[in-house]
Amino acid sequence: MAFNVPDAKPLIEDEFVGEAAKRALQYIQTKRAAGMPVAGIYCGYAPMEVIRAVGAVPAILCAFANKTIAAAEAVLPANLCPLIKSSYGFIITDTCPFFGISDAVVAETTCDGKKKMFELISEYKPMFVMDLPQLPDEKEALANWAVMITKLQGFLEKTFEKSATPEGIEAEIKATNIKNRLMNRVFDCAARKPSLLKWSETYELVFLAQVATTEDLQATFQEVFKTLEEREAKGVHYGTASAPRVLVTGCPVGGDSTKVYKIIEEAGGVVVAMDSCTGMKPFMTEIEENTGDPIAAVAARYLQLPCSCMTPNTRRLDELDKTIARFQPDVVIEVVLHACHSYNIESYKIMNHAKNKHNLPYLKIETDYSDGDVEQIRTRVEALFDSL
Amino acid sequence: MTTTLGLDIGSRTIKLVVWESGAIVLTRKALTSYDPLAVCRELLHDAPTGPLVATGYGRHLVKEYLHCETISEIKAFAVGARAVFPSCRTILDIGGQDTKAISLTEDGRIDKFHMNDKCAAGTGRFLEIMATALGLSLGDFMAEAMSAEASHPINSMCTVFAESEVISTIARGIARPAIALGIHQAIAARAVSLLERVSITEDILFAGGVALNRCMQKEIENKLNRKVHAPADPQIVGALGCALIAEKNPKEEKKDGF
Repeated sequence: MAFNVPDAKPLIEDEFVGEAAKRALQYIQTKRAAGMPVAGIYCGYAPMEVIRAVGAVPAILCAFANKTIAAAEAVLPANLCPLIKSSYGFIITDTCPFFGISDAVVAETTCDGKKKMFELISEYKPMFVMDLPQLPDEKEALANWAVMITKLQGFLEKTFEKSATPEGIEAEIKATNIKNRLMNRVFDCAARKPSLLKWSETYELVFLAQVATTEDLQATFQEVFKTLEEREAKGVHYGTASAPRVLVTGCPVGGDSTKVYKIIEEAGGVVVAMDSCTGMKPFMTEIEENTGDPIAAVAARYLQLPCSCMTPNTRRLDELDKTIARFQPDVVIEVVLHACHSYNIESYKIMNHAKNKHNLPYLKIETDYSDGDVEQIRTRVEALFDSL
Repeated sequence: MTTTLGLDIGSRTIKLVVWESGAIVLTRKALTSYDPLAVCRELLHDAPTGPLVATGYGRHLVKEYLHCETISEIKAFAVGARAVFPSCRTILDIGGQDTKAISLTEDGRIDKFHMNDKCAAGTGRFLEIMATALGLSLGDFMAEAMSAEASHPINSMCTVFAESEVISTIARGIARPAIALGIHQAIAARAVSLLERVSITEDILFAGGVALNRCMQKEIENKLNRKVHAPADPQIVGALGCALIAEKNPKEEKKDGF
């Protein structure tokens, strides 16, 4: 799968093409050198607006490489999600540069594995674990989560010896909304038939956009939209019109598990929508502005994230409806990491929803970060495309 | 008169089918070995020539050397199954390292499919290792199971754990036929649970090397409470599907971009 021209200009043209993590690292290092503290995060529930309002820069910590899993398995059970094993392995082998430069870590009680892993790494850096309500529709959930966010603010203020104001948080809310709208314009270009972007371009932009401020991203966005407009004007697109359009949903996909995206492409498909925390999810919801209670507004937005740790997670089905309408996929492929029980069990609902409501073929791929199952995955994906 | 060839490069066995004037004119099988390409060449070297389509785990390996089209095993089995058994709506294929369940629409298109995870649990390789643990050939392993008066359940489905469970069961003095039957029943249960993930519609075809095992067929039938049909040569279904697709000229079937 390729662009229809041999010399398509990369979406972000710099020395980091293809190396999203290095680009993000350079950004964070620059901010840190300018005196900003770094808050390491593991999850989409970390309230970015509060982290930024305290004057910190967020860093997404390493969690996507097979190479650190062997070290982790000396402590953790082998039959655990690779994302958690990898995260832990990075820390005990001291190989995650983002963790190295983090002054504090923000954690959440999402799944059991992460929760208990956080206990094991709590000695390394100042850490704040947020108690995430898991029944988001209960009436107490919002108030409880807002309390947690306020406590996080206090922790960050104390640890970094800085302070945040409600006005500062409100300003960050507005900045996030601007960023999310711009990101959604990019996603709309991916939704075109045929798509104007390759999945890895969206992936790289997402990686940077999660850590960088809206202001710092302006130049990048200008370049990105200029490139996309040029592509559109010149009829440049990615993949052929008849290639199966794939919506990938499920667990976060990054680093070594992007093998799934690569296999989909090698089998002739185009990944048009990445419905996960390493894809579009962090940019999908607007935060209510000018409410007079910015913490509550932030709390409401993050509680809307349709993560499988929530029950019932009906928002995921609603979001899936919108994503399917917007991206017009031919198939839905769900990526479930080994031993991720919540996504694995929820996949039954997603399968039924894709098949029965949308009449779309659905394939679940259970995998880890090793490359031992590449050929098995390839057989399934090719068979899925064969059956279209 | 057209001659077409189908090659199924499985994890344990490579199968060749030559199709001519609406009939199979030649079938060949050989163990996959460490050099499947050489085995393919050996199988093909004095066979009739014609358009070739390959499937199986080795399909991408041979693609460039043999200048052939490749298709997934799912498609190959879907087409092959309807050729050997036109009323087939559900396919169970247990091969060397894969178990597949495929349901077909009334007109033979793939409706749903499911495959086992990457581990060897419940596959032909699992049977081989269990037979070895009991000191039996594959044929004797099946015969012992069929002669059993009682069965001893085997609980582990991980190949490595099941082997140690079998060894400890032997050490407890449980009769070998009972263990052999217990192993067959465990694999049958796993196959049936895979089948239940696709919709089971009759008629059901049982293909792949494990379909040579009459005890397995019987145990699956018992669990499903339905008849399961094993063709005379269950190993060649995938290769036959390839030869039939080669006959229809896969190049025209392929969409651009593939």
